[in-house]
Amino acid sequence: MTTPRTRVGFTDLGAEALAGLFARPGRTLLTVLGTVLGITALVATLGVAETAGHQIVESFDELAATSVVVTSDLGFFGNAPRVPIPWDAEDRLGRLNGVIAAGSMGNVDIGAALTRSVPVIDPIGQTEFQVQMIAASPGLLPAVRGELATGRWFDRGHSERADQVAVLGAGAARRLNVVRVDHQPVVFVGDESFVVIGILAEVERQPELLNALVVPEGTARRLYDLVSPSTVQIDTEIGAASLIASQAAIALSPNDPSLLRVQKPPEPAELRRNVERDVNALFVILGGVSLLVGAIGIANVTLVSVLERMGEIGLRRALGAGRRHIAYQFLLESTWMGLVGGVIGASIGILVVVVVSAVRTWTPVLDLNIPLLAPLLGGVTGLLAGLYPAIRASRLEPIEALRLGG
Amino acid sequence: MQKEAEPLIRLEGVSRAFRSGEVEVAAVSDVELTIAVGDYLSIAGPSGSGKSTLLHLVGLLDRPTAGRYWFEGEDVSSIPEGRRNALRAGRIGFVFQAFYLLAHRSVLENVMLATVYNNIAKRDRASVAKTALEKVGLGHRIDFHPSRLSGGERQRVAIARAVVTRPALLLCDEPTGNLDSVTSESILELFEELRTDGLTLVVVTHDPVVSAHARRTVHMRDGRLDQ
Repeated sequence: MTTPRTRVGFTDLGAEALAGLFARPGRTLLTVLGTVLGITALVATLGVAETAGHQIVESFDELAATSVVVTSDLGFFGNAPRVPIPWDAEDRLGRLNGVIAAGSMGNVDIGAALTRSVPVIDPIGQTEFQVQMIAASPGLLPAVRGELATGRWFDRGHSERADQVAVLGAGAARRLNVVRVDHQPVVFVGDESFVVIGILAEVERQPELLNALVVPEGTARRLYDLVSPSTVQIDTEIGAASLIASQAAIALSPNDPSLLRVQKPPEPAELRRNVERDVNALFVILGGVSLLVGAIGIANVTLVSVLERMGEIGLRRALGAGRRHIAYQFLLESTWMGLVGGVIGASIGILVVVVVSAVRTWTPVLDLNIPLLAPLLGGVTGLLAGLYPAIRASRLEPIEALRLGG
Repeated sequence: MQKEAEPLIRLEGVSRAFRSGEVEVAAVSDVELTIAVGDYLSIAGPSGSGKSTLLHLVGLLDRPTAGRYWFEGEDVSSIPEGRRNALRAGRIGFVFQAFYLLAHRSVLENVMLATVYNNIAKRDRASVAKTALEKVGLGHRIDFHPSRLSGGERQRVAIARAVVTRPALLLCDEPTGNLDSVTSESILELFEELRTDGLTLVVVTHDPVVSAHARRTVHMRDGRLDQ
């Protein structure tokens, strides 16, 4: 009678391998620990680096990085500037290398005066509003990166002649019901009238402009006795912000530069990023090393278990197991260990990322592939680690195994 | 030496030499042996006489360096590894002096181990293993671990594992070597029972008591058989 060659199902081999592992659970767990540490280190490093990287990307903002704002210190009581910002702030700053645009502005005290547009009496709607008046220098529009919806921005001439012209912020224009400027609409502030020459659509800085009535500084000085601008907005070239910040106060107030407050963007994190990249590389190497150590651990223990289980190998061969069945069994055992280590390691790693993020109030960011690939990496580690012991086991002659394992 | 038309085993001029450095040592040389179906043969001889090697050759655990070997009429001297594995799994059972039970598995699981390599359907494995254990008188111990069994009981488990696949040939290498005389006697009685069920037994032993139970005995000395 003929018997077909021995066929062993994959599930059978997997079950045999699992049984082999569970025969010594303590040792199996300790063996898995190396892989756990390696995968944990890798996942945590990649996750934290990604999270931190995301954080840096979020904080790096071209708009913020090129903005310097100088305000006059209003003193302890906040009523009078200790050092006035000069009226020619725009010219002084424009001479600095790295400044793209500069403009000064200041709130104008108009008392309780209400603002209204053309005297159309609407019996239902409100026609008079409290609108903030802001005096601005001609250079302010580019300095705040403003855009006009219609009309024009005032120039130096308007200011010098103290023309009663105004530019309305988008919000103020809507409230005052001014949509066009080609017919030269007039708004009244108290008893004074201003011709609207433009409407602001958008500003990227100093957003209060959008709800204000903006007039030339010269006009504000004549009509409302404005003492000085309170704020200077500077638009710098990228990378020049720190330099301009250190020069602006001196340029504006050579005698008492310290009395002006300069807001500059946070240091553009170049150094920090470098450090983080170095730390990152270090930890990836560390993770790789501990994974390697884990692999060696698995290889070692699998090899020891091959030597210990010589008798079992011999017996299995006597029961009809082929060489490859023996090899697969040990290979599966080591792969199982790697896979389990990978799953545990990935879980702990993700936990570490979440905890680190929580502590630093970051949003944890993790590539979705990492939790999937990490256990796989563990499995591959186990597989590779088991190759040599498995080959050793399969090469054993049954009688030799029985003799040595008896 | 042929007694029947279709013996279970026929060895013709079988030799097995081991190479140790430059020297070739003949463990088994020029053995002629025929074993009929249902035979109960004992191979006796002092240790180092090559009787275990002969048993390994017969059990397809080892290949002869010379000669030819027919198993159930099939020339198995030079068949591929896979076929040898299948014959070991299906047609040949082994009982060793050292039992080789897996300490972390129950008696039943140890017996079921043999069914893994024998294409026995998964759902039938437990029941055939139970039947085999009942046959060796251990039906009440199936959930025990080997460490809680006596030597004789362990050997019975090993025998159950060897016969669970219903082989044609049972090869025993010093099956009573680790047992006391009373226990040995009971194992030998079990062999007798198995033989009456139609199993062919070959027992290697240096114990004359064991040999006395066999239907015939061949003696080995220095790798040669003198019958």
